Amino acid sequence: MSAKYPAIKMKDGERYFYRFNLDERIQHIIFAASVVLLVLTGMPLKFSSAGWAQYIYPFFGGTKGAPIVHKVCGTIMLLVLAYHVYRITVNIYKNHILPAKKAGNYSLVKILLGQKMVPNLKDAFDIRDLMKYLLFFTNERPRGDNFTWKEKFDYWAPFWGCIVIGGTGIIMWNKEIASHLIPGMVINFCLIAHSDEALLASLFLFIWHWYNVHYSASVFPMGTVFLTGYLSEELMVEEHYDYYVKVMKENGLEHEIKPPHGGGGHMETEGGLS
Amino acid sequence: MVFKSHIRPVWPAVVVSWILMCCLPYAALAADMGNCLLCHKYPGLSRIDKEGGMRLLYVNEEIFNKSVHAKVKCEGCHTDIKKIPHDPAKKVDCLTECHILEPSTEQKFSHKDVKTYLDQSVHSTIDKDGKEKKFPEDMPTCKDCHDNPLYRPLAFVKKVRAGVAEESLGRCRVCHKKEEFIFRFYNHITTRLHKSRSPLNIAQSCGRCHDDQELVARHNLSTRAMYSYGETFHGKAANLLDERVPDCLDCHVVKGKSVHQMYSNDDVRSSTHPTNRGQICNTVDCHPQASPKLGSYNVHAEFSLKQSPAEYYFTVFFIILTGGTLLPLMGIMFLDMLRRLFPNATITGRKK
Repeated sequence: MSAKYPAIKMKDGERYFYRFNLDERIQHIIFAASVVLLVLTGMPLKFSSAGWAQYIYPFFGGTKGAPIVHKVCGTIMLLVLAYHVYRITVNIYKNHILPAKKAGNYSLVKILLGQKMVPNLKDAFDIRDLMKYLLFFTNERPRGDNFTWKEKFDYWAPFWGCIVIGGTGIIMWNKEIASHLIPGMVINFCLIAHSDEALLASLFLFIWHWYNVHYSASVFPMGTVFLTGYLSEELMVEEHYDYYVKVMKENGLEHEIKPPHGGGGHMETEGGLS
Repeated sequence: MVFKSHIRPVWPAVVVSWILMCCLPYAALAADMGNCLLCHKYPGLSRIDKEGGMRLLYVNEEIFNKSVHAKVKCEGCHTDIKKIPHDPAKKVDCLTECHILEPSTEQKFSHKDVKTYLDQSVHSTIDKDGKEKKFPEDMPTCKDCHDNPLYRPLAFVKKVRAGVAEESLGRCRVCHKKEEFIFRFYNHITTRLHKSRSPLNIAQSCGRCHDDQELVARHNLSTRAMYSYGETFHGKAANLLDERVPDCLDCHVVKGKSVHQMYSNDDVRSSTHPTNRGQICNTVDCHPQASPKLGSYNVHAEFSLKQSPAEYYFTVFFIILTGGTLLPLMGIMFLDMLRRLFPNATITGRKK
């Protein structure tokens, strides 16, 4: 957070909480657009004998044009991944490794495990608490941190998918060169991995991810945080209550903290706030 | 009104003349010297044969005249028919000598040589020792693979009419004056410059036998060929009507040889014999920069533990990964939607 991106913004009398900077939002939009196009040009090939494939594939240029669209989008997706990894690496080095070295308590493992997108024990407890809530054992939702287990899942699943799908895609794209390094039968496995992992990724993104960020009753018809970078107070309370309390406290708004979802007043939190 | 009464009788004559003009070129090309179309021109002409199947006896003259056999007279193939009306016709023997003269030898044309090749191929009914193979009735005869194909001029000259380039025909007309000859010769050459069927049609043609599970089992074949081909990039592109991808014949026929000279995988003359297989993919037309190692790609891998165990287990891993990931998440989604209907309810019946 900075002067450019204040932690809390007011608009039309409502509070909005900072989530993503412009760089991250642009990365996400390019990545999402390339994935949608990759699915539209890849799935008709995977299910080539299906009736619908005969209509979608010609829309992208058929067997001549669609593979070009697919390769261009695949390249863009991998470039976004490379850029993202570069940005994270630089960020970790500048903001975590160098200060730790100066302070004399440098531990790479500790730094990496402490990153906001790395799963931790609280995520496991949050999953347990969510199941309790969903199965009617309690009426309180888990009090999520800055990034919940769902968001970490949504982050690491495409990360793994990109590496598997991208790597096998590069091999199949350059099969002539690859054939000098690997036997042809490895391409059989590349095709299975590329195609099946892509199906998993598509279903994961279009069912699970879109449900959480667009179709869930709290955000329907569309979440806007991927465009604005800011999340409404209502959704912060529902999904990120612990972090919400922390931000409100940091901004001197202790007395305006809303109760947790399903709660009946200001609840005691792990941070000791009442 | 007077003006109209003069015009009205002219219309039918104009329409009839126009129809006749449209039909004239095809009528002029017809090979119906025996006047067979006197009866066979009627679309409903059919009968039930001894086996109880319906035999459609209608001949569409317009379509027939665009086929590769248009110049052959009806009695050139149906040699047993000598008079009209005739008795039930015998099956056509494709090896018969027809009335066409083969231009390079000026001998009567016949497909006899095809049988010579076929008898030495994997599709022969006799084995290497001259003994009859098991299940000889499963081996293809001419009409199992071939029908009477239409001319299929090159696909890349589709600018004016499908497959007909007026520019090329214009060059023909400089020296050749007879329009029918130009039409036939042009179509014959351009059809023969490529395959008469698309990769999908060829795969379907082979698949009529090679995807028959009982036939595959009877002959101990390792795969349902069209199904497994359809799982490759080539097969998928063929499904989407790509004309450029290799089909069955591109890999299974030795370059420069006829489709009728196809051999078993364990025959050293076969293009798919282990010693030759490396040369299939890296031909100048396909993947010229590729190593012969590309030939070890398992084109006919099936999702079968027996046939391709490594691919089978690899696919199973992804099925489990997909199910194991999505099913719990979809369960959570379902419970989430349900929970939102009763936001303050608990099984203990009280608010916490």
